[in-house]
Amino acid sequence: MSLVERITSFADAKVWYGNLPIESLYTVGIAGEKFFRAIKDRGVIMGSVCPSCNLTYLPPMMYCERCFAELEEWVEVGTKGTVYTYTVVGVSLGGAPLEQPEILALIKIEGAHGGLVHRLGEVKPEETEIGMPVEAVLKPKKDREGSILDIKHFKPA
Amino acid sequence: MAMRKVAVVGAGMTKFMRRAQETGRELAFQASRMALDSCEMTLDDIDAVALGTAPDAFDGLHMKGEYLSDGAGAWHKPYMRCYVGGGTGVFAAIQGWYHVASGLFDTCLVVCEEKMSSCQPHPQGAFITIFDHTTERALKPNLVWIFALEMNRYMTVHGIEKKDIARVAVKNKRNALDHPCAQLAADITVEDVLNSEVLAWPVQRLDISPTSDGAVAIVMAAEHVAKRITDKPAWVRGVGWSLDTAYWTSRDLYYPKYVEYAARMAYDMAGITEPRKEIHVVEPYDPFDYKELHHLEGLLLADKGDAARLTAEGVTARDGNMPVCPSGGMLGVGNPIAAAGLMKVSEIFWQLRGEAGKRQVPGQPQTGLAQSWGDLMQVGCVVILGV
Ligand SMILES: [Zn+2]
Repeated sequence: MSLVERITSFADAKVWYGNLPIESLYTVGIAGEKFFRAIKDRGVIMGSVCPSCNLTYLPPMMYCERCFAELEEWVEVGTKGTVYTYTVVGVSLGGAPLEQPEILALIKIEGAHGGLVHRLGEVKPEETEIGMPVEAVLKPKKDREGSILDIKHFKPA
Repeated sequence: MAMRKVAVVGAGMTKFMRRAQETGRELAFQASRMALDSCEMTLDDIDAVALGTAPDAFDGLHMKGEYLSDGAGAWHKPYMRCYVGGGTGVFAAIQGWYHVASGLFDTCLVVCEEKMSSCQPHPQGAFITIFDHTTERALKPNLVWIFALEMNRYMTVHGIEKKDIARVAVKNKRNALDHPCAQLAADITVEDVLNSEVLAWPVQRLDISPTSDGAVAIVMAAEHVAKRITDKPAWVRGVGWSLDTAYWTSRDLYYPKYVEYAARMAYDMAGITEPRKEIHVVEPYDPFDYKELHHLEGLLLADKGDAARLTAEGVTARDGNMPVCPSGGMLGVGNPIAAAGLMKVSEIFWQLRGEAGKRQVPGQPQTGLAQSWGDLMQVGCVVILGV
């Protein structure tokens, strides 16, 4: 029997709580800056293009991971895509049941390499299926702040 | 030992800065691409990638090695992250070396990245958990403390005064004025150091390197490839690393024995019997000014307690008999932990090839040494390059 198994309450052993007292401050980066600015200011989703590898990265990268070219060419990939796969989330991160189950999907956009993971909205779990065409629903411009949540969700198209 | 000859054939580094707009992987890409461009190689020419980066908590990303992999050029390649705390940068070069020396790969891209600005309010918040949670953490220790205790012991055992140590900060920050990537280059005086804020006596503000964002990369190649790539390969002549007890309370704080063991391993491999004559340029790990002195002694390049005198007499100046941290070191160039260690290897590479620009030491050095230090303040890593 291990020591851990023998402890049945905290009072049985000297234990205490500690933490790693830090917070993280992230930058969106060179490619991220362009990507989020396009969503915020113009309501469009952009990818970065590697002409040699014939790939349009989404989310966009500042370099091509395959040939290491620095990517200069950017294109709008549109706001329409298809559900590549999805799940219906029933419990929160802490394990509590969600009042409103949440549909999370990987959305592939035609012509783009990669895709976006996002929520599906305006659709019931039982109506959701793989291969379903969807389109991005953006927040009103005044509420957008340059975050992935500027896209509220994707809805059936 | 049937090891193949390995050379450093290319190097690149980003600016070291307080806060980079680039993400960590973008920094890694910039350094990696510069290193490849410097020797006219492409990713196709790279067989394996070695990555060095310090605690995940700095960048605020768990599994930071995986996150950085594509920026380090590791797509579809054998890839491995090493981590020995502050020692990581030089150890990553050792990792790259054994990947190639073993015969497993002909080329290896070695990349080190750190983005410490992500860690708020200060990376000390992450460092606090390296201390023993039972016997030490209740005292709210930070890294400056532990260095202060070590520095005081070092000064007292040898009777070294604070002003003798401050000369290292003055020298390195001035050297960094000639480094295009430097973050904290400055023309300061010993008085400035002695008048700077006391953080934990005897450690004052200007005794310390900054926290930084940055990345460095080098390309390593086996002999037959290296000779094809460049007519100036910088051969890895020796490597060494060693670990002392994790109980820092049990170590001789005035002398880094583990650095001596690492150095002896590297000297033996390189066939160096008189390091003070045979090492022409040195980049020891200098996160604090006294550490440069401490490490020169551990590297057997100065007698115990004598490194401060060498500094005062100009022996370690860029145009001295044994130039030390001609780059400007971490005190001047900056200290993105792992990247700062690899910067020391790349500086030796540039110095030996005569490519260090305004930082070039005179006399066409043939052999140089880079050293880093870290983990729980008890690992020493050494790489010796020669042309
Ligand atoms: Zn490409």
